[in-house]
Parts: sequence; structure tokens; C-alpha cells
Amino acid sequence: MPRRPALITVVLLTALTLVSAALIGGSEGQALQGEYKIGVLEPLTGALAFEGKRHLEGYEIMRDLINERGGVMGKKLTFVVGDAVDPTAAASEANRLITREGVKIITGTYSSTLCGAASEAASRQNVIYWESSCVDPRFSRRGLKNVFRTEIDGTGFGWYNIEFIAKHLAPRFNMKPNQLKIAFLSEDSSYGQGVTEAARERAKKEFGMQEVAMEYYAFATTNDFSPLVAKLKQVNPDIVHHIARGNDAVLFWRQSREQNFQFKALVHAGATGYGSPDFGKALGAEGNGPFVLAEPSTGLRLEAFRPEAQKLERDFTEAVKKRAGTEPYASHRLAGAGLWLLKLVLDKSKSDDLDKFRSAVLSLDLPVGSMLNGWGVKFAENGQNANERVQHYMLQWQNGQMVTVWPEEFSTLRAKWIPLGPWDQRK
Amino acid sequence: MGAVPQLVVSTVLLGGIYALISVGLTLIFGIMRVVNFAHGEFLMLGMYLAFWSFTLWHLDPYVVLLVAAPLFFLIGLLTYALVMRGVVKASHNVQIFTTVGLSIVLQNAALVAWTGDFRFVRPWHSAVVLRLGDAAFNLSQVVAFVVAVLFTAALVAFMRWTRAGRIMRATAQDVEAATLMGIDTDRVYRLAWSIGLVCVGIAGVLMSPLYSVYPTAGLQFVLLAYVVVVLGGLGDMVGALLGSLIVAGVEVAGSYYLGSAWKEVIYFLLFIAVLVFRPAGLFGQRGAETLGA
Repeated sequence: MPRRPALITVVLLTALTLVSAALIGGSEGQALQGEYKIGVLEPLTGALAFEGKRHLEGYEIMRDLINERGGVMGKKLTFVVGDAVDPTAAASEANRLITREGVKIITGTYSSTLCGAASEAASRQNVIYWESSCVDPRFSRRGLKNVFRTEIDGTGFGWYNIEFIAKHLAPRFNMKPNQLKIAFLSEDSSYGQGVTEAARERAKKEFGMQEVAMEYYAFATTNDFSPLVAKLKQVNPDIVHHIARGNDAVLFWRQSREQNFQFKALVHAGATGYGSPDFGKALGAEGNGPFVLAEPSTGLRLEAFRPEAQKLERDFTEAVKKRAGTEPYASHRLAGAGLWLLKLVLDKSKSDDLDKFRSAVLSLDLPVGSMLNGWGVKFAENGQNANERVQHYMLQWQNGQMVTVWPEEFSTLRAKWIPLGPWDQRK
Repeated sequence: MGAVPQLVVSTVLLGGIYALISVGLTLIFGIMRVVNFAHGEFLMLGMYLAFWSFTLWHLDPYVVLLVAAPLFFLIGLLTYALVMRGVVKASHNVQIFTTVGLSIVLQNAALVAWTGDFRFVRPWHSAVVLRLGDAAFNLSQVVAFVVAVLFTAALVAFMRWTRAGRIMRATAQDVEAATLMGIDTDRVYRLAWSIGLVCVGIAGVLMSPLYSVYPTAGLQFVLLAYVVVVLGGLGDMVGALLGSLIVAGVEVAGSYYLGSAWKEVIYFLLFIAVLVFRPAGLFGQRGAETLGA
């Protein structure tokens, strides 16, 4: 096998330099009185590791920014990290962080497959669980008083997707929403089902869209989409609403092209599948066209944010570029916004006592545009940040890059290829 | 009816990919009686070999095949000497734990060395779409299918008509008698393991233009390979090819007519039925699982 010792050495040296820089940076900031340690759970090995590591990177970058801005409760924020490779490990690592590391707050876990198990383990020990990324709607329906989520839930994703289709795409097709034929396709995780079922319900009940197909598939064992594409061709949908998880997005797109499956638009939600930078790396300009509901990217109109949020947004973007060499990805942003919001709460509660913490969470009331990603804050009793405050954006793949195209008041760039033309004319 | 040609072509080409993976697995099981749970990870290594060769030296995966065969033979010799030699005569439990352990080591070594990112190999032929009537298919898939058929034929010929093949079959049939006849069984196992790894390494290289490359890429395919091997008959290479076509046919037709969620229900029911009623596989004669070819 090809070995890359030089590259590994460079990576290790870079990592050491970054760690050293972070440590020095922390001590150069404001005089912080001691440390405050929280637990961070991420999938750092296994199938979700690629996004889990990026999510952790987002946390670390925001942690350093927080420490430059006075830390939390006047203390330097530090992490103890656990590897939540699967739900069992998520629960056992949560227990380890609580019992052996003594943390009072755990955050994480990137994935809807992990957040349920991790938060229940935290709940059993009355420890605060602060989720910044998973979107499974069931997460906040369990009546757990110690569990909070900064990110939108899956029903919000479905709501936004149908909003975009009905209010933005339909007029540009010169069609009414109830004339649209929509095919739903999704991987079968709790995330995929949560988003898809919310979208189906709104599409049907509120707009009367015509559902022409509904297919769930097992992400881990689907190696060929050609029969599904053949089936969808027969029902000729205008919109393909596809919640993908990873390689399935690339495979479906490639095989749709091979079979010349023509549809007017494809809409996805979330940082996986079409929302992963890997989609662009795999397909380049051949991947032009799909829409992805996510956190903002290139083309964001920063002037639409409040002044303090503009500064935070600029500093975070610069820090990500410096460390990761890229624009912030959705995983960076979800982690960054979640951790910043935790700082706001801790600075207000001045304590990790659950009652005081919860009271501070529920008292926060910030309009859209107030913080990173243009989010606002208003938590409900169930610990869920209000979907309408967690402003989301429609991004589109344009020549290997995901750019922000909607809502138009938040974007400087515009959606292209509406409707999608022939496969070879999307340049 | 308009989709039927596409479904047939999809079945044949997907079956070719499954056959590529399964042939090595069935060979190792047939001769060594070892279920190699690390098979998927060797597939993943083959995919990474193609990826790095393409990325660093712009080598087309078909050129890499020339290097992959001897390289995976060497990897086979090495892993046999270091890992498998000590457990090849141990109980099945020990073999299972050993190969599962090897699988986890390889997965995580890949994760540490190359990160969990999805990687892609995009040679010119990966974007070539061929059309036959109403059916469309990818050139890289056709090549994978042709190689799968040729490889299976070559392995069957090797096992049936060469002295080494006869020795391997004799060892599979009765290891004690083979030992008494002066056969070096350790050498036979080493050869079977290494050829099995060559098969799966080549499968990985050929599949790299079609699928993403990442540390757990093998898991996506290896479960199906076990189903194929059981259907075709344990140790039966022609059976593996036919079993691959059956699994692919069930997957394609199930997805189209019943919905994607049903395809696994169907082929795992078939899997259980074969284990219960025809443990030698659909195409093997009763007792053939002990013959090794």
C-alpha cells in the first residue's frame, strides 16, 4: 500500500503547532480564573467519523474564540472528549465523562443515531445534555428536563424544504404548488424519516402537492440505485425530495445522469449526502443543481445580521479558514453556534446547577440575525430552540461549490438551472 | 415493461461486482474452512490502493491491477504468517474472533492514516455511459463484470486442472489424509489465503471508479458476499457467480416492484431457507461444501 510518512509527519506537526497555539492563545487572552471542563461526545471512528471530526473541529475553534472573549463564567473553557462510534458507545462514553471526568455538561454528538442514547445516559445522572447538531424530532419529545437542543429539529427541515419548493421553485416553474408532482426518497434512519415525514405532511396538507413516489432505503447496504431511478422515471416527478446520508447522494445522482432521468429540481436537507463537501469533490461541475437546506455558506449577505453577530461570523469564518483551510462547513457551524449559545447561557446562569441553567436557557430571547449563522434564540419548555429562530438557508451546488441562494434577503447569489435542463447543459 | 431491459442489465452488472468480492471469500472458506470477517477490509485496501495510485501518480485503476495482484499476494503471505497461521487449525470461535479483530485493526488503521473522508477515483471510463436499447450502464461496471467472469473461470480451471489445485482440493476434502500423503497443508492454506486476498484486492481496485473509498467501505458489500457464498455453496466458485446474480436480481427486482425497503427481507429469507433446506448451497451437491471447488 502507498505510504505517506511525509504527509503524516506534516499533519502531526501541524496538529502540534495548532494545539500549542491554542494553549498559548488561551493564556494570552483575558485573565481567566481557573478552568471549566465540559464533555464532548463525537463519532471519531467508524462510518460517521468524517463528519464527527469536523464537528469537533468546529467546537474547538469556537472554544478558542470563547476563551479569547472571557471564557465561560469567567473561566477558561476546556474539553474532555469521548468517542461515540455508535449508540452503545455514546451511552457508555457519556457515563465515563460523568463518573470519571466529573463533567456537569455534555455536548455533541453530530448524529441523530447517537444523540438519543447519549442524552438518556446524561439524563439518568441528572447532567445537562446540550445537543448542537442532531435533528431527530423525537429527541425533544421525551419530557427530559436536562436536555436541550440548539439546532432545528427534523420537522423544521421538512417545513423549510416545502416552503422553498412552494414559494420559490413553483413560481419559477410557472406552476402552482398543487400542480407539482413530488417524489420522496430517503435513507431510513431516524433523521431521514423525521425530515421526510414532516415534508410529506406539509406538502400534502398545506399545498396539495401530488406525491408520486415514496421510497425508504437502507443507506449502508444500497449499492445500486438503477432500479429506483427506472421506477422514478416512470412516474416523472417535477421535484425529487431526497434525504441522503453519504455515498448514496453521489450514486443516485450519477445513476440518474446515466439513465437520463430528468426532473426539475432535487432538494435535500442537512450536512450529510448532498450537504457534504464530498459531493462536490466527487462530481465537480457534474454535480451542478441540487439544493441543500443547511447553514449558510459562500454568498451569505452578512449585512442582514446584527452588528455583534457580523463580528462573530467574520471571526469564526477566519478561524476556520486558518485552521481547516476551507470555508466553514455545516458541521463547523452547527458546533460553533451551539457552543456559543452555551456560553451565553452559562454567562447568564453563572452556574451549572440544572434549575438555574434551565431558567437561563428559557429566559433567552434573541431575534433572527443575533448570532453565528444568523440564528436567533427562544427555547421552548421541551428544551428545543424554536425552529423559526434557527434560520436556515437553501444552498445550491454550483461548479463544485455550495453557495447560499435563499432566502434572497440573506444571500448575494442566486439559484441557477431552474428548472434543471438536460444533464450536459448545466454548466 | 419499459424498465425491464434496464433491470436485466442492472442485475447482470451488479451481480458481477458481488461475484468479484465473493469468489475470494468462497475460496478461502472452501479450502481453509475459515470465514474471513476481514474480507471487506481487504476490499477497502484495494480501493485505497487504486485511489492513492490515481491521486499521486495518475495511474488508471486498470494499470494498478498489474501491481495489485502481486501486492495482495504478498499481503496474503504476510497476514497468513503473522495472523492466520496460528488459528487456521483452531476452533471456529477463535477464527471468528481473530478475523473480526483483524477487520477492526485494518479499519481503524485506515481511519488514522487516511481519515474518514470519502475519496473518489474518477478515471475517464467512470463517466462513459453506454446505451443498449432502453438500458443505460457504465463502462467501469462492464469491465468489472467481464473481469469477474474471467477470474471465476480462471480459478475454476486452476482448481480443476492444475496439480496445485488438486492438492488444494485434496486438503479441503480430508486434511489428515492429505498430510499423510505428504502434502504440506500449511503451504496449501497459505496459498489459498493469498489467492483469496488477490481476488478481493483486485475487486477493490475495479470497484474504485464506481464507489466512494473510505475506511468502512468494505462493510457495505461484505454482508452481501456472505449471502452469496451461502447461496452458491460454500467453497463453490461457479456457485458464487450464480449466487451473485441471484442476489443482484432479488435486489434489483425487489427495489423496483416492491420497494427498496423489501429487498433485504427477501434475500435474507432466501439465505435462511438455503441454510435450512440446502446447506450445501443452491447449486452444490449434498456434501459438496466439503469438496473445496
